[in-house]
Amino acid sequence: MIVSGAPIGRAGQFFMLRVPGALDPLLGRPVSICETNAETGETAFVYQTVGRGTEQFSRLLPGQEIDAQGPYGNGFSLESGRAVILGGGIGTAPMLQLARELRGDDPAREIDVYLGFREEAYLAREFERYADRVAVNIGGFVTGDADFSLDATYYACGPAPMLRAAAAAADAANAKLYVSLEKHMACGVGACLGCTCQTSGGRKRVCKDGPVFDYREVHDGL
Amino acid sequence: MDCNPLSLTLCGVPLQNPVIAASGTFGFGHEYAEIMDVSRLGGISGKGLTLYGSSGNAGMRVYETPSGMLNSIGLENPGVQHFVETEAPYMRSLGPAVIANLGGHCEEDYLEGARLLNEADIDILELNISCPNVRAGGMAFGMLPEPAADITRRVKAVSRHPLMVKLSPNAPDLVAVARACESAGADALSLVNTFLGMAIDVKQKRAVFENVYAGLSGPAILPIALRMVHQVAHAVRIPIVGLGGIASAEDALKFLMAGARAVQVGTMTFAKPGAMLDIVDGLSDYCAEEKLQNLQEIVGMI
Repeated sequence: MIVSGAPIGRAGQFFMLRVPGALDPLLGRPVSICETNAETGETAFVYQTVGRGTEQFSRLLPGQEIDAQGPYGNGFSLESGRAVILGGGIGTAPMLQLARELRGDDPAREIDVYLGFREEAYLAREFERYADRVAVNIGGFVTGDADFSLDATYYACGPAPMLRAAAAAADAANAKLYVSLEKHMACGVGACLGCTCQTSGGRKRVCKDGPVFDYREVHDGL
Repeated sequence: MDCNPLSLTLCGVPLQNPVIAASGTFGFGHEYAEIMDVSRLGGISGKGLTLYGSSGNAGMRVYETPSGMLNSIGLENPGVQHFVETEAPYMRSLGPAVIANLGGHCEEDYLEGARLLNEADIDILELNISCPNVRAGGMAFGMLPEPAADITRRVKAVSRHPLMVKLSPNAPDLVAVARACESAGADALSLVNTFLGMAIDVKQKRAVFENVYAGLSGPAILPIALRMVHQVAHAVRIPIVGLGGIASAEDALKFLMAGARAVQVGTMTFAKPGAMLDIVDGLSDYCAEEKLQNLQEIVGMI
């Protein structure tokens, strides 16, 4: 879905998307920024039709209005040097904007991308615009493909088992890893406390204090 | 002469309009102050407090349902002392009337919390005897007339603030609970808190929430909440603040006509942060269209 007119956000941030006026489904859906275009003012979102909210999105026609509240949350911080990006399933979407920003930030840095999908790959070609290497894994564990012993910063977004595997690999290799978490949210702004998670610094809100965390902070809650 | 047709007095406290942010849906105002003009609200009821604070419930906490949602937050809050020192002064700086919502696990918690809140610069103390998501206490005090009256009387005796008791729609006889709170000295009533509901994950063959049951809110509950406000309004003389699924100015008008002097809006703010400001504007427009000097003229007309 391409939305124009929304403020331009950063990689890792999200919007609460909602069909205006709808009382059923009622709540906005948190959807991460997949790619922004500051020139056209457009933001691309990639979503998976999993429930009534996203089903409603899939029935929207071109030109129809959508309520996009955001950008919310803290994005990824762009660390200098080599970057390794791991995306699993719909968790690949925010990583495209991350690859784009990392490339824009340092055209010379090496960027490796590992994408994992259950059945069908998507976005892989788009990553090639920014990454030096893009590896796609269908049906397997993407964390097994990546070498965690590089002098690099690792960024991961995907289902919980993938993030746990990434955390275990980072533990073993003493790697620097950032993870983007996903939780059911009602408000998206930090008011409802529906998405808090246990961290080394007490309970934190995934929407407002995250969704990107240093993995060590949220290690036990993954 | 007061020329703001939305103004009212609640428990002796002047409000610029009858639209109040409901407890548990607005934090202490910080988050929404970043994205909307919160100074235009009538009041803000802060996140439900417990004496020593709480990290809330584990597991799933929010779950959408048709035109509503279930929550099982479990009163995650920083405790009364932190509120008194940090959050109450911040809420005061925002402009709208400041309401502190106090829950508890036992009588002594409520009384000590109320005593500490005497040090806070707040306008109204909202006594939460209706949270369905904490195991010990909370809603237990609000189920029957006698315990409700008892805790109301005791808190009233130690508190220097006007006391508004927040009622649970899960009480078998809500009108009797409302009457009991009135006789025990409550200055106002707010109703209704969430309805006890449940969700099941059929694929995983288990309850969605760790506490099994959770609180239902949102437009889905409006007709039942409205009926309850109407019933209670006909049974007590103290002011009523109505809430339950309000999403528009028209919804707010329904609660006023049913007998509420003011309303609280909660779940709709999650869906649309500016919902309460739209409601304030809509109520202004209504006064102009109906040529009302003050919106309170319609309170309890039905």
